[in-house]
Amino acid sequence: MPFSELLVELLLMPILAFVIGLVMVLMMRRIGARIQRRVGPPVLQPIYDIIKLYSKETQISHGLMHEIGIIMAVGGYIAAETLLPVPGLDGLADKGGAVTLAYMLMIPALGMALGVGQCANPNGSIGISRALTAMLAYDIPFILVIFGASYVYGTTNLAEMISIQQQQGVSSWGIVQMPILAITALLILPAIMGKHPFEIYVAPSEIATGPMVEMSGKFMGGLFVMQCFQLYTAGVIFTTLFLGGGVYWITFLPKIFLVVAIPMSVAYLFPRYRTEDVLRLMWKWPMLLGLIGLAVVMK
Amino acid sequence: MTALDHLLLISAITVVIALLAGNRSFGGWLVTILYALQGAALLMMSGLGYSTLEVVQSSFRIVVLSEQLLWRFDALSWFFALITIGAGLFSSWFASGEWGRKYRDNGGNLRLFHGALALNVFSMLVLLASGDLLTLFIGWELVSWASFLIMALAGGKAFGYAMRYISYAFAGAMALLGGLLLIYAEVGSFDFQSLKEAAPQMQTSTLWLVVVLLTAGFGVKMAIVPFHLWQAKAYAETPGPGAAFLGAISSRMGLFAFIVVIVQLIGISRLVEMEIPFTFLSAQDLLAWIAVFTIIIPTYIALRQHDARRLLAWHGVGQTGYMLLGIVIANDLGSAGGLMHVFNYASYQAMLFMAVVAVMHRTGTSDLNKLGGLFTRMPLSYLAMLIGIIGLAGLPPMNGFVSKWLIYRSLIVDGSPLLFIGAVIGTLGTILSVYKLIHNIFLGQLRVEHVAVREAPLSMVIPMMLLAVVVFVTGYFPGLVLDWTSAVQASIGIPVLAHHLGGVSISGGLDMIWIVSVLLVGFGFGTLVFFLGGRSKRVHQLDNYAGGHFLTAETRYHYSDNFYPGLMHLIGPWYRNSFEWLERGVISAVDTFSTAMQGLYRNAHPSYLLLAAVVFALSWVIV
Repeated sequence: MPFSELLVELLLMPILAFVIGLVMVLMMRRIGARIQRRVGPPVLQPIYDIIKLYSKETQISHGLMHEIGIIMAVGGYIAAETLLPVPGLDGLADKGGAVTLAYMLMIPALGMALGVGQCANPNGSIGISRALTAMLAYDIPFILVIFGASYVYGTTNLAEMISIQQQQGVSSWGIVQMPILAITALLILPAIMGKHPFEIYVAPSEIATGPMVEMSGKFMGGLFVMQCFQLYTAGVIFTTLFLGGGVYWITFLPKIFLVVAIPMSVAYLFPRYRTEDVLRLMWKWPMLLGLIGLAVVMK
Repeated sequence: MTALDHLLLISAITVVIALLAGNRSFGGWLVTILYALQGAALLMMSGLGYSTLEVVQSSFRIVVLSEQLLWRFDALSWFFALITIGAGLFSSWFASGEWGRKYRDNGGNLRLFHGALALNVFSMLVLLASGDLLTLFIGWELVSWASFLIMALAGGKAFGYAMRYISYAFAGAMALLGGLLLIYAEVGSFDFQSLKEAAPQMQTSTLWLVVVLLTAGFGVKMAIVPFHLWQAKAYAETPGPGAAFLGAISSRMGLFAFIVVIVQLIGISRLVEMEIPFTFLSAQDLLAWIAVFTIIIPTYIALRQHDARRLLAWHGVGQTGYMLLGIVIANDLGSAGGLMHVFNYASYQAMLFMAVVAVMHRTGTSDLNKLGGLFTRMPLSYLAMLIGIIGLAGLPPMNGFVSKWLIYRSLIVDGSPLLFIGAVIGTLGTILSVYKLIHNIFLGQLRVEHVAVREAPLSMVIPMMLLAVVVFVTGYFPGLVLDWTSAVQASIGIPVLAHHLGGVSISGGLDMIWIVSVLLVGFGFGTLVFFLGGRSKRVHQLDNYAGGHFLTAETRYHYSDNFYPGLMHLIGPWYRNSFEWLERGVISAVDTFSTAMQGLYRNAHPSYLLLAAVVFALSWVIV
């Protein structure tokens, strides 16, 4: 592939991710609203929110690291999106596979953690302590899933995984080949996205006692952008591993929206889990299922 | 004289100069220059690191009991020597300026410190140059005593920890000696080559004994489970830069000896054949599992530490597990990852220790509950620690990511999910614990008594920054280090990893030049997005809202102690100090036994012994 074409791809991938992520945020809010018998926000609400946050008059910075933290959170996701192949755009999929992606996704989390730490607010630090604990909870089953998929497809290259599933039809899709691992991934998906019922570490509904306590204006805006990327990334990873990815956007988009919609619809029905309960839950059921799933695929 | 002679000679001169001039103000600088000269001598042999040179002999050799003792460098020795001299150079540089003066003014013996450091480097080079099993043992003992010397320098508590180390080291050396004698009895020579030829024909039961004894001997130095207890405390209490040096390279000597004897001479393929009865495991699996437990247990002990140096030292024990794991897996990816991790780990561990020592130099404490908010006061030390923890946690773009990636990838290729999960659990624990480290020292609330703290002096900052450059550049261009590890792989007879400047050339490979570039450009766009927003007002560090309460700086609200209560609530009961308990058990058993023997020989039964001796002598004369 010519170099210039690759550069265009690399530029296009994060932009697409952001736009699709915005629509996903809208969908998530609409689902939440319908379940609670509300109407929900208008179509352009996520865009209004971002414009509003970025143009606020009062924006408090607690120092250089606070700012760099937000930059790392957004920039890390922009970079990670180029590792995630989508229809027509392979980007850097052959330069770093699933394992690299899994570790790239920790850069934004680290950035946010450092930024919050600089704010010197004990509530923020407590929120980060919870977030990192939750990461320890869901990442172990997540890595089980990654291992299983790499084993089944015989590669860690995400683009190759897609082409294998595309060439051999639905019977070769991950969800058919390794249904137990697919269920595992679906169970941990809300935790990866930081959504109900595992959202206590984000604490979006009681901002003053969570990691976002000192985030005002564009700092909050940066985290909003990060959330768009987060939803998109979770949806695409699941689709790539289990639902055959996509050759055309027309078949690809419904899949990723479905993936994000399922946990959202179920999750709002549950109460929230405390951090140690997230650990207990994640290390029990998804872990058990993941190990069984691995045992089945590896025989 | 060969290049190796030059190297060893300069190293010996360094020891002498350090002992003569160590406590002068110019002494440290002089010694640092001599380390640089050692580095230059090593670079004269750089053909070893690029497979253009097979081996460099030393012209010094002696004959003992018709065994010729010889010293020589091959690719493996060269690679480890590079790290050793690098660690010595930066640690000595760090100690040469204000740190040394303060250490001396506080009553420390700076002459002995520089001398001990130089002696450590010298003895390690002698060990790395060993050309047969006997010189290996000589080098081994030299290294043990040299590390004891530097550990015991601080006196008091440190002396106790050093004594604990030397007890472990004695036991390890005895096991090692037993193993070597067993080899001698089987092979009839201490020569490397004859062991390599005899190993395939050796009986499995004998080989088991040899492998267990040698692994125990080398394992004590590496501090693998269950011999992990001594290391962290002993390293942490070593004076400042000494801890950086020991942490970076000292216990790697165990790994070096392990690679030479077990991997190169006996061969991993032989270990695979050695089945453990009644299980599905082979000796290789057993070692891999020991490595994984060495990753997990010390890492989660580190998570509970509240002293920065202890925390780092415990991580040092844990990271050994990754190296051992990669090397035991012994495919091209795994062994390259394990070897590369030795280099990467040394670079960031030295830097992390230096950052902590810089903080101690300015504030007088390394207690994580008594610091906080120092980022604005010591930004460069913060930068060093940030780069270091990203490396230690194994996240891109630093070099630690590449070596861990190679190890993960080798486990996927090998099809070992449980080992893989063990390695990842260790990495996640590391992330938790290093965030606590940087948060408690540099982020959060600044203490009132630290408002006047300044950045560490240049003599301390420059070595840190240079190491930071090493960590970043070898992460950006891992091919630089992979060239050396490939030469090592070729010389110890393991498949060589196909690589290029940016990473690994296999399907589903890694190209760090692209990954890091795209990350940097991503940060650039992130900055752009950030500055698209409205102007933000920067408030003073001590101007805080703190959850609705307007607190003054005098109120301490830095969230530091028991940083992960949710996690500890769940896994807290799993910390049972079983190994401490086991250690105490062994100690009291030895104690009881020696008391009994003492009673037998000295107090109660001299007459019985005399009688027995007389009876024996008479019967011998008569019959």
